[in-house]
Amino acid sequence: MSDARPLKLGFIPLNDAAAMIVAQEKGFFAAEGLAVTLSREVSWATIRDKVAVGALDGAHMLAPLALAMTSGASGLDPTPLVAPLALGLNGPAITLASRLAAAAGPGTGAEGLARLIARRRAEDASRITLAVVFPFSAHNYLLRDWLAAAGVDPDRDIRLTVAPPSRMTELLSGGVIEGFCATEPWNAVAVAAGAGVLAVRGSQLWPRMPDKVFAVTEAWASAHTETLQALSRAMIRGAAWADEPGNRGDLAALLAQPGYVGADAELIAASLPDIVFHAEGANAPLPVHAGWLLAQMARWGHIAASTDIPDLAGRVYRPDLYDAAARALGLPAAALSDTLEGDGEGRRFGLTAALRYAADAPMSRLPRT
Amino acid sequence: MRVLVIDPDPARAALVAEGLSGVEPLEVRHAAIFDETEAALFEPDVVVVAADSPDRDTLESLREASMANPRPVVMFVDRSEPGLAEEAVRAGVAAYVVDGLAANRVRAVLEVAMSRFQLMNQLRQDLAKAKADLASRKTVERAKALLMTERGLGEDQAYRLLRKLSMDTGRPLGAVSADLLAFAGVLKGEPS
Repeated sequence: MSDARPLKLGFIPLNDAAAMIVAQEKGFFAAEGLAVTLSREVSWATIRDKVAVGALDGAHMLAPLALAMTSGASGLDPTPLVAPLALGLNGPAITLASRLAAAAGPGTGAEGLARLIARRRAEDASRITLAVVFPFSAHNYLLRDWLAAAGVDPDRDIRLTVAPPSRMTELLSGGVIEGFCATEPWNAVAVAAGAGVLAVRGSQLWPRMPDKVFAVTEAWASAHTETLQALSRAMIRGAAWADEPGNRGDLAALLAQPGYVGADAELIAASLPDIVFHAEGANAPLPVHAGWLLAQMARWGHIAASTDIPDLAGRVYRPDLYDAAARALGLPAAALSDTLEGDGEGRRFGLTAALRYAADAPMSRLPRT
Repeated sequence: MRVLVIDPDPARAALVAEGLSGVEPLEVRHAAIFDETEAALFEPDVVVVAADSPDRDTLESLREASMANPRPVVMFVDRSEPGLAEEAVRAGVAAYVVDGLAANRVRAVLEVAMSRFQLMNQLRQDLAKAKADLASRKTVERAKALLMTERGLGEDQAYRLLRKLSMDTGRPLGAVSADLLAFAGVLKGEPS
C-alpha cells in the first residue's frame, strides 16, 4: 500500500464494531497489506470531531450521524462523508425498568406503556425519562417510531435524554432513567444486572433495520481509493468471520477484552444472535436504509424539510464502492431495492416517496401532504 | 462563579480552581461522571468537560434541548490531536482549554466561553422571536382576508375590527386572529 503511516480507525465499544475488530485481530487488514491502529473512543461527538479533522481516517459510525454530518445538521458546517459498507443490521433494542415493562405488556407495541404515560400525566406525576445513545441515531428514531405508533409524543409526553450505552445499566438501576434504546451487549448487561427487562428488539419492528456504517470523509475516499477498497474487503471478511456460528465463542471472548467492548463474554455471546453482521448482503450500504433514516429525521424536524432525501441517501450510502470490494471477494453485488418492509400497518417505506412517508407518519412535524 | 468540572482526573479541577483564585464567590465542583440531577441543583455558570469523557454526548444533547437550561461548555483537549478543539467549537462547544495551559489563562478562557455562549443564546432567541413574529403576521393577514370575504369589509375595516377585538379582550392581535380562523373552521364544519 502507498500509505506509509498506520491508518487510524475509531470505534465505540459495541457488538457491531465486530467487523473492524475481527479484521484487525484475525489479520484481514494485514493480509491486505494495511497497517491499522484501532482507537477506542468514548463518545459519538468525539468520533464526529476526529473524523472531521482527520485525526481518524475512518470510523464505526451511527448511520444517521454520517447523514447529519453530510447535510450539516450536526455541527455548523457540512462535512460530507461516504459509507462504503454497513457494519451490520438489527443492532438496537429497547430495555425498560421492570415496572414499565409490566405496564407495556407482552406484545411488541407500546400501547400498554402509552396507557401508563397517560395515567401519569393525568396524575400530574413527573414524565417518564427514556435514554438513547445520541440524537442522530437509529436508536432515537426506532424509539420515537415505536412510541408514536402508540400515540405517545416523544417530545411532549416523555423526556428523552442521551447517555453513553455503557452507563445505561447504572442509570436504570439508579432510577435516573426508566428505559433506554441501545445496541447490544448493553441491553443484555442491564437485564443480567436485574436493572430492566428487554421490551422489544428493533428487528421485531423493522426486520433488517440499519444501525452502524463504516464512514470516511468524501475527501479521504477520493484521495485513497485503493486503500478504501482494501479496508472494505478486510472488514467484509471480518463481518463474515463474525457471522460464522462456529466462531461465536471466539468472537465473544475477543469483544469482551477491556480494550474492545469490555463486558462479560457470556453476556456478549448471549446478545449476538440478533445482529446480522454479514449474511444476505448485510454489509451492502443500501440507499433505501439511509432514506428511511432521513425520512425519520425529517419527520421529527431534525433535518430541513427541503432535504432531497434520495439524493442525500445516494451521496452517503455508496453501494458502488461496496460492489467493487464484494466483486473482488467473489460476493454478489448489493441487492438494491427502493422499498423497506416493516412489521405491521403503515410500516412500508418507499425511497422515492420518502418525504410523503415522513409527512404522513404519526406525529410528524411536517405539514401533511 | 460556579464551575462544574467533569473529568476522571481530579488534577484538572485543581488547575481550574487555581486559575480562578481571586474570583469571589467561587465554587469549583469536580465529578468523575456527569449527574444531571446534581448538576441541576448545583446550577453551574459553566461546565468544563474532558474531551475524553463519555458524557460529552449527554452534555451536547442537553445544550441543544430547549427544555433544559443551557450552559456554556468548555472542553479540555489533549494537544496530541491538532484541530480537534477547533472542530469541537464548530460543533457547539463554547471554548476549549488545551492540556498544559498555564493556570493564569484559565479565567480568561472561561470568561470568553460565557460571553460567547450568551451571544449565541441571544442570537438563537432573536431568531426564534423573528420566526414567531412572522408566523403571527401571516395569521393576522389570513384573518383579515377572511373578514373581507365573509363580511364584505375593506382591508382597513377588517384590520380595525381585529384591533378592536384585541383591545376588548386584552389579547395579542395574533392570538385573536388565530381564534377567529379556528372558529371559522368549526362553523364551516372542518374537523378541529
